[in-house]
Amino acid sequence: MNRWTGTKTYLADEGLQTTVNVAVALGRPLLVKGEPGTGKTLLAQAIADGLELPLLTWHVKSTTRAQDGLYVYDTVARLNDSRFGDRDVRDIEQYIRLGPLGMAFDQSIPERRVVLLIDEIDKADLEFPNDLLHELDAMRFRVSETGREVAAAARPIVVITSNAEKELPDAFLRRCVFHYIEFPDEALLTKICRVHHPHIEDALLAAALRKFLQVRSIPDLKKRPSTSELIDWLAALKLAGVHVEKIEQGLPLPGVLLKQETDTQRAARLRAATARS
Amino acid sequence: MFIAFHAMLRTAGLKVGLSEWLTVVRALDDGLIGPSLREFYTAARAIVCRDEADFDRFDLAFAAHFQGVALPVEIAKPLQEWLDSPVIRPALTPEELAALDRYDLDELKRLYEERLREQDGRHEGGNRWIGTGGMSPFGQGGQHPGGLRVGEGAPGRGQAVASARARRFRNYRSDHVLDTRAMAVAIRKLRRLERASRRLELDLPETIDRTAKNAGDLEIVERPERRNQARVVLLLDSGGSMDPHSRVVEAFFSAMKQGGGLREVEVCYFHNCVYGEVYSDIAMLKRKPTEDLTRSVPPATHLVVVGDAWMAPRELFADYGAIEYGMLDPVPAIERVRQLAAAYPRRVWLNPIPDNYWAEPTIAAIAQLVPMFPLTVDGMTAAVAQLLGRGTKAARAVPRSSQRVFG
Repeated sequence: MNRWTGTKTYLADEGLQTTVNVAVALGRPLLVKGEPGTGKTLLAQAIADGLELPLLTWHVKSTTRAQDGLYVYDTVARLNDSRFGDRDVRDIEQYIRLGPLGMAFDQSIPERRVVLLIDEIDKADLEFPNDLLHELDAMRFRVSETGREVAAAARPIVVITSNAEKELPDAFLRRCVFHYIEFPDEALLTKICRVHHPHIEDALLAAALRKFLQVRSIPDLKKRPSTSELIDWLAALKLAGVHVEKIEQGLPLPGVLLKQETDTQRAARLRAATARS
Repeated sequence: MFIAFHAMLRTAGLKVGLSEWLTVVRALDDGLIGPSLREFYTAARAIVCRDEADFDRFDLAFAAHFQGVALPVEIAKPLQEWLDSPVIRPALTPEELAALDRYDLDELKRLYEERLREQDGRHEGGNRWIGTGGMSPFGQGGQHPGGLRVGEGAPGRGQAVASARARRFRNYRSDHVLDTRAMAVAIRKLRRLERASRRLELDLPETIDRTAKNAGDLEIVERPERRNQARVVLLLDSGGSMDPHSRVVEAFFSAMKQGGGLREVEVCYFHNCVYGEVYSDIAMLKRKPTEDLTRSVPPATHLVVVGDAWMAPRELFADYGAIEYGMLDPVPAIERVRQLAAAYPRRVWLNPIPDNYWAEPTIAAIAQLVPMFPLTVDGMTAAVAQLLGRGTKAARAVPRSSQRVFG
C-alpha cells in the first residue's frame, strides 16, 4: 500500500497524512470536521488523486435518505414500461439503480478500490447516519427486490465530512476515524497560496497574508474568512491590480473575505481604530 | 505500557471502549503507525476521539502518560486519601493571590519531594502542606496561582503549572451537560404527520390497485405528501436571572429550531414572567400583546415556556407587578399565566433550576398552572410525553403551605 502524502495542489500536514493512512489501512470511514473552507470536501479528491483511485461523490441534502445511497427501485419506470414500453418488465434488475454507496461496493473491475465522499452528512435527518451503520461496517447489502447481494471486493475508502450542524450518533462515531482540520499556520498558509498563485509577487502575498490574519483575529466575527476565501481574495487582488500599499493601509475588496454585514462593520471599525493610533 | 495509557484516557474522561482500543493496538501491530511518538499521537487521537471537543482531554492524558508530567502513581496513592472530600474555601482576592509565592517547575518538584518526606497526614486549607483547598502550592482544589496539582479531584483555579502543556484544543472543549441531539430526538416525538401538504406524491398501492381494476390500463393516483403539523409556541425568559442558564437554553433552542422538524415554532421572549405584552425579538424591542397568543389557538399547538419562574412574589401576584421599565400591566402576572394555561391544553414549563428548589412560592404557583419539568434531557422526554397526553404527572415539589397564596 503506498502512503498518501497529499498532492501537488492539496498540501496536507503530517497529522492529516498519518490519519488518512491509518483510516485507509484500517478500512474505517474517515470523518473530517473543521471550519468551513479548510478543504474538507477537497480532501476526498486529493486522496483519490494521490492514490490514483476513482472518486465517487454523494452530496447529502436535507431530504436524502440512507436508502438512496444504496439503490433506488424505479417502480414508476417499470409501471410505465408495462403499459407503453418495450422492455421486458419481468426483469426487475434493469429497474434497480445503484446509488453512490451501492456503486462504491459494486465494482465492475474487481479488486479496484474507490474513494467515496459522503459530503455534509450532518445535513440529513438525525437518524441518517444510524441507518448507514450496518452497510458501512459490512460493506455489503442485499437488494431485496431481486435478492442480489452487492458486496465490496475491496473496502472503499470512505471520507465523510461534517459541518457539525447536527451532532452525530455515538454508535456511528465509534466506527469512524476522526480528524479535525485545523486552520493552517502562517507557513503552511503561505505554501498553500503559492500553490494556487505561483506567480504572485512576494510583497503582495506577504501584505495580503498579514492583513488576512489580522482580519481573522478580529474577535467575535460571525464568519471568519478561511483558506478558500484567502485564495479567492488573492485572485481578486491580482485581477483588480491592487497595489501593495493599498492592502497595507486598508482592506480592499472586503466583500471577498467578509460575507456578513456586521463583520464588515467590525472590520471597518478596527481599521478606523488602527488609523487613529 | 499501553494498557496504562488506556486507563489514563478513561480517567481523563474519554469514552474509549474496548473495540476502539483494540483498533489502536491493531494499527500498531500492523505497523500502520510509524515508530515516532508523534505518529502514534495523531493516529491514536484519530481513532479514540469523536469530536474536537475531546482533543483537549486526549492531550492532557497523553502528556500525563508519555511526558511524565503527572506524579508517579505510587506516591500519589496515599496522597489521594488526604486529598479526598475537599473543603471549599472562598476565592482569594487578587492582592492575596499576588502575595503568594510563585515557583518554577523544578523548584516546585524539589519542594514537593521535600514536603512529601516530612508530611504525616491530611491537611486542609493551609498554606504549606500538600492538601485541599488551601494556598499552598501543592495539592488540589487550591487557590495558589502557580501550584503543582496532586492527584485527581475537582480543580480549584486550574492553573497548576505542571498541567500547562500546549493544549491547543482547549477552546473546542465543551462540557455539554445537555446533548442537543438527545433533545432533538425527544422533540421529534411531537411530530404529527398529516397529509395536508400541497405537494403531491405518487400513491403507489392505490395506483396499482386501480390499474389492476382497469385491467392493466395505467391510472396514476396522487395524494398529498405527509407533513409534520405540530406547532409550538415557545416562550423564553431572557431576564437576568436566566443568564447562568444561557448555554442550556441555547442548546434547547437550537434543538427546537432545527432538530424537531416542526411545522412552525413561534418564539416570544419575556422578562421574569409573562405580563400584558411579550416580545417577538430577542433584543426586546418589538412588543406584542399576550392576548394575541391566547386568541384563536390552532389545534395541535403546544405551549412550551422556558424560564426559572423565580422572582419576588409581588412580581407575580401584584397588579402592576412588572419591574420592567414601561411594562404597565394592571393584571397580575399569575393571571396571565392562567390565561395561557386555559388557552393551551397542551402546555409545559421547562425550568433550568433543579427541582429541589421548586418549593419557592412563585415557582410552585406557576407549576400549579403549567406542568413543570426540569430542563434536562430526561425532563424534556417527560415534558414531551406530557404534551402528547400520555405523560406521568409532572414532578411538582409543592408543599401544601404555598398553595394558599393563590388558592
